[in-house]
Amino acid sequence: MEILDHIGSVFADFSNPKKRVFFGYLLLTILIALVWLVAVRRASIRAALHEVFDRKVLFSASSLADYKIFVINRVFTMFISPLLVSQLAIATALYYALHDVDFLQRGLFAGTPKGVIIALFTATIFVVDDLTKYLMHRWMHRWPLLWAIHKVHHSAETMTPITVYRVHPLEGVLYGLRAAVAQGTVMASFLFFFGNAVDLHTVLGVNILSFVFHVTGSNLRHSHISIRYWRWLEHLLISPAQHQVHHSIAREHHDKNFGVAFAVWDWMFGSLHLSEQGRKLKFGLKASEAHPSRLLDIYFRPFGDMARYLRRRARRLHERLRPQAARNSAASGRDKPIPAVARTDPG
Amino acid sequence: MLKSKLNLTTAIVLSTLLSGAALADQAYGPFPVTVKGYEGDKTNSVSYSGQIARHVLHDSLKKAAGKGDGGHNAAEVEALMLAYFNGSDEDLAIIAPASKDGFPVKQATVNEISKGKNISGKFYNGAMTAWPGNKSGVDVALQMINLAAASNQGYDPVNGMDWGQLISKFTLGAMAYNQAVDNYLDEKLEAGTKPNDKPYKEGAHYTGKEHSWDEAFGYFGAAAHSVSLSPEQNYAVSKQKDLAAADANGDDVIDLKTEMVFGPAYYAAGADKGGNKNTQYMVTIFNAFRDGRALIASANGEALTDAQRAELKNYADIIETNWEKTLAEATFKYAGSVYKDIDKIKSGEDSDKALRNYVKHWGELKGFSMALQSGKNNLGAAAIDMNWLIGFGPAMPDGKMVSDIDAGGNFVRDREMTLDDYQVNMLKVQKLLIDTFGIESRANDATADLAALAEKLGTTESAESD
Repeated sequence: MEILDHIGSVFADFSNPKKRVFFGYLLLTILIALVWLVAVRRASIRAALHEVFDRKVLFSASSLADYKIFVINRVFTMFISPLLVSQLAIATALYYALHDVDFLQRGLFAGTPKGVIIALFTATIFVVDDLTKYLMHRWMHRWPLLWAIHKVHHSAETMTPITVYRVHPLEGVLYGLRAAVAQGTVMASFLFFFGNAVDLHTVLGVNILSFVFHVTGSNLRHSHISIRYWRWLEHLLISPAQHQVHHSIAREHHDKNFGVAFAVWDWMFGSLHLSEQGRKLKFGLKASEAHPSRLLDIYFRPFGDMARYLRRRARRLHERLRPQAARNSAASGRDKPIPAVARTDPG
Repeated sequence: MLKSKLNLTTAIVLSTLLSGAALADQAYGPFPVTVKGYEGDKTNSVSYSGQIARHVLHDSLKKAAGKGDGGHNAAEVEALMLAYFNGSDEDLAIIAPASKDGFPVKQATVNEISKGKNISGKFYNGAMTAWPGNKSGVDVALQMINLAAASNQGYDPVNGMDWGQLISKFTLGAMAYNQAVDNYLDEKLEAGTKPNDKPYKEGAHYTGKEHSWDEAFGYFGAAAHSVSLSPEQNYAVSKQKDLAAADANGDDVIDLKTEMVFGPAYYAAGADKGGNKNTQYMVTIFNAFRDGRALIASANGEALTDAQRAELKNYADIIETNWEKTLAEATFKYAGSVYKDIDKIKSGEDSDKALRNYVKHWGELKGFSMALQSGKNNLGAAAIDMNWLIGFGPAMPDGKMVSDIDAGGNFVRDREMTLDDYQVNMLKVQKLLIDTFGIESRANDATADLAALAEKLGTTESAESD
């Protein structure tokens, strides 16, 4: 019985409206894709069905690897998540700290109408979540140590909604911490300044804005159905096609469209790339970077890459410091102590 | 073989459940007289009137603490308070709980309940580091009585003391809790002490173990029928507001010896009634007492076997753990009250009243935190932290708090503490109590809103990335 419970919890995300792969959202995703193919692309229903359920995508080696990674990562999460700091712990610590700041007055805006407080909190937590995801994602691409683990996600050569789970466990930990910090900060600040009227506006227990994001096809981001928005809208919201550009192997598409729901962050920080009509995209990475389906490679190569990177940095530091240390000792003789940094020998 | 074992197990489990169900709503007593060779006419061996007398002394002492007029009648008030604390040759009037409209009480004097009782002889006398001056428990109480008598209606607005609350809450621990868990449910359960095959004392109609156990129950302060009442009813009985619930025998008058709910039981019911409503301290403690007593009765006047004493110690353990939690819950609740009171003081509205409530709640907070430190367990670092966070007095609006007391009993106010910082201390006290005692009810939880929001937002594990 216990085993059944565990199996149930591995697949619990499919019945949880807080998760993108909730079956209701998946059904809507299929519907949106079909309607778009028939209405916009003028495909026959039969052809549309064929394209949505394309066996070459759903059962590719890359997708099969996604399904295995899904199960492995869920099991891993069960063990690791109790060890991670929760947003409540961060919120509580920050809530204490806010009391200690003399010029901040608790309940300063407590007189605000309840409806306004709830709307403001709901919007703020969504926007802050989205912005911090953008920043984290950007760093994942820009910093070599983080790229070593994030490229697991980009090694997918075909994409299905399950590809959202194709992440290295270390990335899962980092994203969990990001969420804890972002949400904990917003929660503590709101409760401190607005008092106990603070609440989340929800549908099916989910932040209404996340709900809107999911029912409008968030799952299509990881798919081969490249729904585009109008140009002006792609400056505000990331379309599925824009996220697919983010996964494209083409050089000019690298480090573009880091955003999740909002495109404004990419627009503001110069990483926006609009979708291109008729452009056939190829997903994945070069063979020298990652393998699309070999699990051992997917889970363990990042450690090797990180170690190589650190060794390279250490060697460079060593080379830059050695002549300096040699000069110092030559100039001042034996009495002068060698600077502490110069004594470290990474080799 | 396996099957027969299973059957046996099922039978044992079923019979346990059934016997438990049969006892579930049963009152504490009557239990038969089992002393071998007893020839008197008593038929009920339950007796704990001495403990009820002490509860009444305590309630009256608390009321007496408010009789000072600011110094003129100090000697008179102190003498009155000491009479209730140390006991008196005269028959003392019951100041509380006294008869009132709609709630007539059978006894009017302490001797009508039990003669020759006092509080001081049954008061925690170890070191009490929660109070300034390195005093023993009894000396702290005596100093509080002295200062209460010299105050105006038990209130000290400069140092932030509410003497009635401080004395009362401290006594709930230092007398009732301490005697029960550190004496009657502790060494008195050993084989060689107050054995079950002898009367408690020459000619008594109860055995050594029966009476020791009854005395511990008496200190808990539940009515004999409390288990059949809801937490709300037990609470109302203690407040003298529900005659029907209190009057178990239907004679329209409340017998303090069996029908009244006193302090420790009142706070057990209070924790169950408020907060998260997910605790059952009253029923848990009561049932452990009642089932333990039934076990002793079942020995029928023979010495308890080691197995029986082990079972009894198990009940004692349940009682002690849960009783300690009720004290921690009360401390938690008043830390939350103090936190809210500071908001009111800072808002500047009706400042005298706001300060009065603040000091009252602080007295309850401090008293209960001292009660927690009067039990059998040394709380160690948790006590040190708690005493530092709560301090020797509340932070006052001038940013100072009591730091010491001099030889003449005058408070020294040298510790800097803003009201804001003190609020943070209250949050930390609540967290400390959760971490140390695992309490669940958590009335007045100052960070409950955060927990509720976190619950709504869901876990952050595997937050989706792209």
